[in-house]
Amino acid sequence: MSAFIDARTVPEGTVLETDLAIIGGGPAGISMALALAGAPFRVMLLESGGLGFDAKTQALYDGTKTGVSYLGLQVSRMRYLGGGTNIWGGWSRPMDRIEFEERGWMPHSGWPFGLEALQPHYPRAQALCEAGPWLYEKAEKWSPEMGPMIALGEGGVATRWFQFSKMRGSFLPTHFGLRYADDLRRVRNLSTYLHANVTRLGLARGGARIDQLDVATLSGRRFVVRPRFAVLASGAIEIARLMLASNDVMAAGVGNANDLVGRYFADHPIPRDIATLVLFDGKLAPYYLSNQTIERAVMRAGLFPDEAYRRARAVLDSSITVESVTKLDELGNSTVAATAAALGVDAGNAVAYSLGGGCEVTPDPERRITLDGGRDALGMPKVKLEMRLADSDLAHFRDTLKELGRQLLTSRAGMVRLNLKERSQWLAELDWGNHHMGTARAHADPKKGVVDANLQVHGVSNLFVAGSAVYPTYGAVNPTLSIVAMALRLADHLKGRMR
Amino acid sequence: MKDFLTRRNLLIGAGGAVVFAGAVFEATRLVRRRHAPSPYDDLLVRLDDRDAAAAIGEEVLVGTPDFDAPAAAGELRARFAHAGMAQTAAGDAAQGRLVEAHGWVLPETLGLLCALAAKTA
Repeated sequence: MSAFIDARTVPEGTVLETDLAIIGGGPAGISMALALAGAPFRVMLLESGGLGFDAKTQALYDGTKTGVSYLGLQVSRMRYLGGGTNIWGGWSRPMDRIEFEERGWMPHSGWPFGLEALQPHYPRAQALCEAGPWLYEKAEKWSPEMGPMIALGEGGVATRWFQFSKMRGSFLPTHFGLRYADDLRRVRNLSTYLHANVTRLGLARGGARIDQLDVATLSGRRFVVRPRFAVLASGAIEIARLMLASNDVMAAGVGNANDLVGRYFADHPIPRDIATLVLFDGKLAPYYLSNQTIERAVMRAGLFPDEAYRRARAVLDSSITVESVTKLDELGNSTVAATAAALGVDAGNAVAYSLGGGCEVTPDPERRITLDGGRDALGMPKVKLEMRLADSDLAHFRDTLKELGRQLLTSRAGMVRLNLKERSQWLAELDWGNHHMGTARAHADPKKGVVDANLQVHGVSNLFVAGSAVYPTYGAVNPTLSIVAMALRLADHLKGRMR
Repeated sequence: MKDFLTRRNLLIGAGGAVVFAGAVFEATRLVRRRHAPSPYDDLLVRLDDRDAAAAIGEEVLVGTPDFDAPAAAGELRARFAHAGMAQTAAGDAAQGRLVEAHGWVLPETLGLLCALAAKTA
């Protein structure tokens, strides 16, 4: 077992050589490092933080933001081994096939590969996330023992399932740094450097290859890594920042010949109390309200627009969850009584629930990361985020909630109140998923994407991007499981490429 | 004076006050339930609580400022000629005929009835 290396002990001016440098020790970087164990080449994992939270390191995330109210850039990420998994909620679900399709009604949609490219890697990703056996919709074989699913008439919304990461020996989701530190130490062809901040991607003359990474520590040490190949795995915001800031050879930055790096930033809006669900008989199976163990998997049901509905009605993805029991006002009680009476059902035992959820946003090139005028403690330019949220994206979510209401009326099982309509109402109830995506989007055409189908940066033959930075579109499910699956796919590609 | 303010008399007085208040409330409610005749009574009779329906209908009208009561009544009579309330309401949902009232998603037939109740309240 080899110890992690503290970059603060590396002598000033050292030049380290490696075959593959992975920049960032979050779920993507750690998964790749583990997947490349035993490969016939040397791998170096460069992580900015240490094994735990450090305020000075975290402050390197500082930046400014404009536009729609958004989380602070420091609080929505974690800059130590494990990255975003140090604060994730463990929600896991694979992407749907439709996410990868080019949809005429959705501008900038279409991935350079399909779901089939990820499917072989999902089982291993599920294992790394410790999300239990692969059940998802198969849970419906056992869930009736706990109670029936919500009766929905024919339509576009259906019950679907999340699975939850649960770190071995803990009730918490898997924190990749804590969980896999010993596994990383056991990988003989891997060197893991902590407190190692990559501050520049050094392009070779002509800009077609990376030949040097400048590394700095907060203690003032600076050294150089010369990799044959490099993977950016430091999250969508930091990846864009590093590519844009590395502008000594190519003035627009690395991989930015077409002014795409940093654009199309996305996150999932998570508005609270978006709607009120009333079930006339008051009976709700427990797996809608809280996590339940089904066949050794920790699961929770949600309500999702299905793929056929999304295609037919041209609507964005969303996920709806039942959050808590709520009370109705006098008008609400009257409306429930009148509706149940009209439908010929008894609402004497009706119960109301507050609904929450998350939704997809349309790709927007103006929602973007740029460099700010300020500098961090290492001399790196800080980032500026322009955050936007289109009314039309919120309207898609509202349409799906209305479809849910329609299906409940059709089945005479219940009804829905849409609690948010005006933009100000949505913004007042808005949280975000901390799912940073899109700043180095994948597309086969260099004019439309930063990376190609193999996640190689267009025009830079030995530089790759791992993580949700490459997402051209975003779906509505939590991205970690797919980030890991995509990282494993990239590891496989590099195994072949680096022979 | 002292003899009059006995515990027994006070309890009787308090009980009487409660009964009186309840009677006033119920009488008010009954009075409120007496609606003037309207051209839509054949339809409004399908509503269990016409006052509550009128309150819902006010919210329906917010979203349909150009509501045409005679036309709506004609449409409803045509629907009820073929099916009862429950079947019509569920059929509305199946066919996507919906209205919103203060955010509540309602079968259109119920929404129109409530709007008529509001117009005649």
